Amino acid sequence: MGAIVPYPPPRARQEWTAYLGMVIFLGSWAMMFGALFFAYGMVRARATAWPPPDLPELPLLLPGLNTLVLAASSAALQLAVHWLRSGKLPRVGPALGASLALGAVFLALQMVTWSSLWDEGLNPSGGPYPSVFYALTCFHAVHVLVGVGALAWLCRCAFLGKYSAARFLPVRLWALYWHFVGAVWGVMYLTIYVV
Amino acid sequence: MDLQHIHPEPTSFVRKHIFSTDHKVIAKQFLWAGLLFLAFGGALAMLIRWQWAFPGEPVPVVGPMLFQNSGGAITPSSYNAIFTMHGLIMIFFAITPIMIGAFGNFCIPLMIGARDMAFPTLNMLSFWTFVVSQLLVIVSFFVQLGSAAAGWTTYAPLSTQVGTPGLGQTLVVAAVFVTGVATIMGGINYVTTVVRLRAPGMTYMRMPATVWGLWLTAILNVLFVPVLGSAALLLILDRQFGTQFYIAGSSAVRGGGDPILFQHLFWIFGHPEVYILILPPWGFVTDLVSFFARKPAYWYKGSVMAMTAVSVLSAVVYGHHMFVTGMNPMLGQSFMTLTLIISVPAELLFLNWLHTIWKGSIRLTVPMLFALGTIFVFGLGGLTGLFLGTISTDLYLHDTMFVVGHFHLTMAAAAFLGSFAAIYFWFPKMFGRNMNQSLGKWHFWFSAIFITLVFCGQLVAGYAGHQRRLFDPYQYTFLQHLQPLNRWTSYFGFILAASQVTFVVNFFQSVFAGTKAEQNPWEIGTLEWTLPSPPVHHNFDVIPQVHRGPHEFSNPEVKKTLGRDWIGQDEELPKTGKAPAAPAAAAS
Amino acid sequence: MNSAARLIKQLAAFLAATLAAVTPGLASATPKPEAGIGLPRDVSEYGHHIDWLIEVTMVFVVILFIIMVIWMVWACFAHDEKHTAEYDHGDSKHSVKTALALSAVIFFVVDGNLFYNSTTDTFRLFWNHDALESDPKAVRIEVNAHQWAWDARYTGPDGKFNTKDDVITLNDIRVPVGVPVMLQLVSPDVIHSFYLPNLRIKQDAMPGMTNRLWFQAKETGEFDIGCAQHCGVHHYKMKGMLTVLSPDEFKNWVTEQSAIASRGYDPKDNEAHWGWEWKSRN
Repeated sequence: MGAIVPYPPPRARQEWTAYLGMVIFLGSWAMMFGALFFAYGMVRARATAWPPPDLPELPLLLPGLNTLVLAASSAALQLAVHWLRSGKLPRVGPALGASLALGAVFLALQMVTWSSLWDEGLNPSGGPYPSVFYALTCFHAVHVLVGVGALAWLCRCAFLGKYSAARFLPVRLWALYWHFVGAVWGVMYLTIYVV
Repeated sequence: MDLQHIHPEPTSFVRKHIFSTDHKVIAKQFLWAGLLFLAFGGALAMLIRWQWAFPGEPVPVVGPMLFQNSGGAITPSSYNAIFTMHGLIMIFFAITPIMIGAFGNFCIPLMIGARDMAFPTLNMLSFWTFVVSQLLVIVSFFVQLGSAAAGWTTYAPLSTQVGTPGLGQTLVVAAVFVTGVATIMGGINYVTTVVRLRAPGMTYMRMPATVWGLWLTAILNVLFVPVLGSAALLLILDRQFGTQFYIAGSSAVRGGGDPILFQHLFWIFGHPEVYILILPPWGFVTDLVSFFARKPAYWYKGSVMAMTAVSVLSAVVYGHHMFVTGMNPMLGQSFMTLTLIISVPAELLFLNWLHTIWKGSIRLTVPMLFALGTIFVFGLGGLTGLFLGTISTDLYLHDTMFVVGHFHLTMAAAAFLGSFAAIYFWFPKMFGRNMNQSLGKWHFWFSAIFITLVFCGQLVAGYAGHQRRLFDPYQYTFLQHLQPLNRWTSYFGFILAASQVTFVVNFFQSVFAGTKAEQNPWEIGTLEWTLPSPPVHHNFDVIPQVHRGPHEFSNPEVKKTLGRDWIGQDEELPKTGKAPAAPAAAAS
Repeated sequence: MNSAARLIKQLAAFLAATLAAVTPGLASATPKPEAGIGLPRDVSEYGHHIDWLIEVTMVFVVILFIIMVIWMVWACFAHDEKHTAEYDHGDSKHSVKTALALSAVIFFVVDGNLFYNSTTDTFRLFWNHDALESDPKAVRIEVNAHQWAWDARYTGPDGKFNTKDDVITLNDIRVPVGVPVMLQLVSPDVIHSFYLPNLRIKQDAMPGMTNRLWFQAKETGEFDIGCAQHCGVHHYKMKGMLTVLSPDEFKNWVTEQSAIASRGYDPKDNEAHWGWEWKSRN
C-alpha cells in the first residue's frame, strides 16, 4: 500500500447516493404521515358523528383550489428540472420562481382557511374533529414552508447561474421532496375534506 | 474501479474533536455520551431496587440531597419519575447511542471498505441533535413537578395533562421526539452507506454479520421511529394545544379521542424498537463466535436470512403488548400467531451459533466471553417470551415482574453484554491501545452472573403475581412474602452496579495510558484489521478489492500456503493469486 | 405493660374476633398471605388451564435451556484452543435440512402446544362472554376504576343498573362461590387494570370503552384485587378485596345492602349515578 489514491468517483455515482438518501428520508416522512392518517382513521372510526353536527363545516372550494395550486407548483418545478436537463437554462429561473410563488399562494390560502374557520368557532380544543383537522393541515403546512424556503434558495442559485445541464442535483432532490409534499396534500384533501 | 473522494483532514481543534465529520470521531463521541447516560440510568435503577428492598427508608448518601422534603426517603411521585426515566434513558440515551451511534458509526465504513459515511455532515448533525435531546432530559429533572412519570411507555391518558400535568413530561416527550430525529438522520446515513459504498467484491453476503445487524437496525429505525414521532407529536398537541387525540372518559369533548390509539402508534414503533436494540448484538455475536472459535460462521446465509426475517416480521407482532386492552379476540389471535412464528428465526440463529462453536478451537478472550454471555442471557430471556406471547398465559403474567424480567434479559442484559463485547473487541482499533484483559475477565464474570441473578429474581417475583411499577408492593397481602426475594434481588443488583467499577477503571486507564495496540491483535480477517490502530483520517489509502467472506477460518488451503488459521477478506493467496472461494462480480 | 392492660387488650381482641365471625357484613378480615415462590393459590374454576400451560411450557423451556448451557460449557472445555477447528461452513444440504428440521420440531411441539391450548382456552372460556349473557345464574357487577379506588355496583332486586336499589361498594367486591361473575369495567380518567391474582385473570379499564371480564370462584375466602396498569401517584395503593361468600350469604348481603342503599338514595347526586345500562353486546 504505497501512495494514497484519491480518485474521485464519477458525478453520476455521487448523485445516485444523494438521491437514495433523499428517497429514504422521504420514506421516513411517509411513515410519519402514514401514522398520522392511521390516527385520523382510528379517531374517526370511534366517533359517533363525523363531522359533529354542532361544529362549522369544512369548506371544499378553497382547499380544492389549493390542491390545484400545489399541483401547478409541482408541474412548474418539474418543468424546471426538464429544462435544466435539456440545457434551456434561461427558462429555469422563472420556472423555479413560479413554483415558489405558487407554494407561497398555497400557504396564504391555508391561512385564510384557518382564520375563517377559527372565527367560526372551530378550534383544536373542540374535540377530535378539529384536533385532526388542525394537526394534520398544520403539520403539512410546516413541510410546505420548508419547501418554500428551499425553493427560494434554488431560485436564487438559478438566477446566479449556479446550475448547468451537468450540475443540478439540488433541484432534482428538492423536486422529489416537493412532489411528495404535494402528494400528501392530495391524500389529505380527499380524506379530510371530501370524504 | 470505483473509489471514494478523500476529504482533506481538518486542522483546527474544533473541527477535529467537536464538530468533526469523521465517522470514527463521531463514534467515540456517541460512546462517551452513551456511557455517561448508562451510568445515570443505572443509578436510577439502584434507587428502584433500594425502595423495594427497604421501602420507605432514607436512601444512604444521596437521599438527603435528592429527597429533601421526605427526609431522604423516596416518595411515590419521585419513584414514578425514577422508573420512567430509568427506562427511557437506558433505551434512548444509553444503549442506542452506544450500540447504534458508536458502533454503527465506527464499524460500518471500516468493515465495508469505505472512507467514511455517505453523508458525513449529516452524521455530525445527528450527534449534536442527540446531545440536544440529552439536555432536554436533564432539564426535565429540574422543573417544578419533576420529570416524566407515566412509565417509559408513556400511555395516554396518564401521560396527558389529565394524568401528568407539568412541564417535565412535555420536555421528556420532546426529548424523545428530538432523539428520534437524530436516530433517523443516522439511519439514513447507515442505510445509504451500506448500499452505495461497499468496496468492490464486498457483496452483501460477504459483509460481516455486524454490518448486517447494524444495517437492518438502521432500516427499522428509518421506518418506525417516525411512527413514534407521530405518537409523540400528537401527545404534545394534546398536552400543549388542547387537542383530543388520546383523551377519553370524563375529560372528553364531543366524544374525545382514543387512548388505545396511543398504544397502537407506540407499539408499532415499540416492537420493532426491541429488535432494533437486539439486531446489533446478534450481529456482533454471530461474528465474534466465529472469530474466536476459529471456525466459519455456521450457515451464515441462514443467520442473515433469520435476522432479515425477524426485521420484516417485527412490525406485525406488536399487538401482543395489548392483549388485555379489550381488543377483538380475532385480532389478538393473529398477533399471537405471528408472535409465535417470530420465535423461529431467533431459534435458528441460536442453533447456528451453537453449531459454530462446536468443534471449534475456542479462544476464551474477553470479547468471546461477553459474546457467550449474550447468548446465555438472550436464550433465557427469549424463552420466557413464549409465555407472554401466548394469550391465555399472558392474562396472568401481563404487567407483572415476569414481563420486566423477560425484557431485561433479552433487551438490557443481552444489549449490555453485547455492547461490552463490542467495546472490548474494537477498543484496540478505536483508541490504538489495549484494555487490561484480566480486569476484563473479572468484569465479565461479575456482570454475567449478577445480571442473570437480578433478572431471574424478577422472573420469580412475576411468576408469583408481583405487578410492576409499584412504589410499595407490600401493600398487597399476596406480595408481602416476597420482600426477602426482592431484597436479595436488590443486593445482587447493588453488586452488579458496584462491579462495573472494574470496567470504568479499565476503560479510563486504557484510553489514556493503555499499552499500544498492534494492527490485528485478534487475528481476524475483516477489513478494519488491515488498517493501523487507530486508522488514519481517510481509513483506506487504497480501497480494497474483496475476495471472500469475513469468516474464513481454519481453511486447510490457507493453513498450507500461509501457515495460519485466518485470511483477510482482501488478501490474495500467493500461489495462484486467486481466492479459495470463487470471487463474485463487483459490488452492487 | 401491666397485667390489667394486657387483660383488656386480650378481651378486646376476643370480642373483635367474635364479632367478625358472627357478622360477615363487617369486612374486617384480610386475605390469607401467600408463601413460597410459586404461583399464588388458585381459587378459580378454570384458572388451572393457565397454570397447566405455564407449568408444561416451563418444563420444555428449562429442558431446552439446560441443553443449550451444557452444549456451550462442553464446547468451551472440549473444543478449546488445543482442539483443531473443523472447517465447515454449515451450508451443505444436510446441515441446512438438519437446522431447519430441528427448528421446526421445537416450534411445532412447544409453540404448537401453546397455540392450541391458548386458543381453546380463550375462545371457550376466558374471553367467551357471550355464552354467559344468557346464563340466569350469572352475577353482574359494574366496576368504575378511577384514581385510586374501585367502585363496584350491583343491581339490587330490580335487576337494573343505575337505579335506586343499586348496591355500591368501595374497594369491596363480594361474589357467590361456584357461580359465574361478569364484570364490566370503565374508567373516567386514566387506564387501570383489574387484576385478580388468585383467579389468574386481569383486564384493562379503558377510558371511553366498556371492557368485560368474567370469572368463577370455587372457594370462599378473601382475596386481593390489584391494579395492574400504572395509573399515577397512588397506583401502588389501589387495592381492593374480593370476598367469596356462600350463595346464601351473598344473597343476604345484597338484600341487606340494597335496603340500606335505597334509604340513603339521593336522586340529585349525579356523581353517584355513574352506572350504565348493562352492555350485552357482540
